[in-house]
Amino acid sequence: MLKKMLLLAVMLLVSAQPSLAAGKTLRVAHDATWPPMEYLDANKQLVGYSVDYIDAIAKETGITVEHRNVAWAGIFAELGAGRTDVIASSVTITKDRMNAMDFSEPYYTVQQAVVTRKDAEFKTVDDLKGKRLGAQISTTGFFAGRALNRDIKSYDAVGYAMEDLKNGNLDAVLCDDPVAADFALQGGSNADQLKIAFVITDAETEHYGFAVRKGDKETLEILNRGIKAVQEKGIEAELIKKWIGK
Amino acid sequence: MADTPNIRIEVSDGASIPHPGDKGLVTAWSIAFFGALALLVFLITVMADPFWDILQFVADGLIITFQVTIFAIMLSLPIGLLTGLGRLSTNKKINLLASTYVEVIRGIPLMAQLFFLYYGMGKIFGVGGVPAAVIAMSVCYGAYMGEVFRAGISAISHGQTEAARSLGFSARQTMRLVILPQAMRTILPPVGNEFIAMLKDTSLVSVLALSDLLRRGTEYAGQYFNYFEVFALVSLIYLIITLILSKLVSIMEARLNYYDRR
Repeated sequence: MLKKMLLLAVMLLVSAQPSLAAGKTLRVAHDATWPPMEYLDANKQLVGYSVDYIDAIAKETGITVEHRNVAWAGIFAELGAGRTDVIASSVTITKDRMNAMDFSEPYYTVQQAVVTRKDAEFKTVDDLKGKRLGAQISTTGFFAGRALNRDIKSYDAVGYAMEDLKNGNLDAVLCDDPVAADFALQGGSNADQLKIAFVITDAETEHYGFAVRKGDKETLEILNRGIKAVQEKGIEAELIKKWIGK
Repeated sequence: MADTPNIRIEVSDGASIPHPGDKGLVTAWSIAFFGALALLVFLITVMADPFWDILQFVADGLIITFQVTIFAIMLSLPIGLLTGLGRLSTNKKINLLASTYVEVIRGIPLMAQLFFLYYGMGKIFGVGGVPAAVIAMSVCYGAYMGEVFRAGISAISHGQTEAARSLGFSARQTMRLVILPQAMRTILPPVGNEFIAMLKDTSLVSVLALSDLLRRGTEYAGQYFNYFEVFALVSLIYLIITLILSKLVSIMEARLNYYDRR
């Protein structure tokens, strides 16, 4: 009898664990200019891989989330100022960033892709030296490009860089490979004029993490628990298939 | 020159010009200028980490800022003069053309004009970043300055024109030799003010991915996340430059009005 009661108590505790977090609302910021990871669909709804991923975490952990569209240039300041709790916006975990914020476990892996016009013939990183490069400001593509050319141009959104590439003001744009694929290979004028010249494979693989305020262990714990559940239940694989398709 | 009107055209989008007659403003200018300068020196010497580092990173952005400002000034002055004259022209077509230009341009935000010219029309014109920024700013400020020129010219008493014409000057000579030289005295200060406003507005060209002062600052902050320090420093630099310019305008104005002070 005692054993049974103990077991019941343990079971209650275990089942009650998600509800510790339940009811908590996390404000999640996305910069919706980064398809297919996070962007606005035709109905002005925030959609994409990271949006679905956060929703799946919310479902698994019993929290509620409030998605917000925040411009990239201000997204880290928004976290620091306490106006948002989580950045779910394809943020690669880097040393510089870890000094300023904490990261969840990785939830996706990318490499830097080099997008050019159809007629260009760039094959390696060396071909890019001295060329007119562009990238979205403070992205890992921008940092990789600046190592090659100090005068790389920084855009507020990667879409402007692609436009400038098409207009002939740039020779190459650097960005995460799923985004490059979305811009360069999807239909419309981009696909007619742009291509992925190559993917920088000799650099370290980049891992996306959800960023939280430094020291915010509570949020981090919820996210990591959610990521684990999402991965173990095969939801992550489904989301990758749905949004990136490989 | 007994007829010279004693008016001052106030434009509010530049920094205030510290007129010698306005003691309060002169004091305010000194406080702002020397305060900003002292703060800048303090930050980059005593708090060299990170301020000296930031300053070195953003310094080359100043070149673009000045480049765009200077070229835009040179281009917007003739546009402004022609527009001002066009707005006063008795030729209906010219008048309508100038008025429509002013009406359309003043109704569109500079930011939208920059986006349209650079990204929207990029396919057709294929102009690079600096030329696009200079063109957009000159076209925009040409319209603003047109209004300043118009106000300055129409402030000159009609008696001047009548006197010149009765002495045998042609309409063109009257404008060039009699009206414009007098109008310059009232026009120059507000035009100087427009220059200052223009320098500040060059910060908008950073949306064209031009590496101006503000864009360099954003790039630095985007890597090291010290937004407070970066934008404090960038603001200080802008402030010091605009304050120097506003002082220059006030000195120029004082010289132009030398005879009025007697």
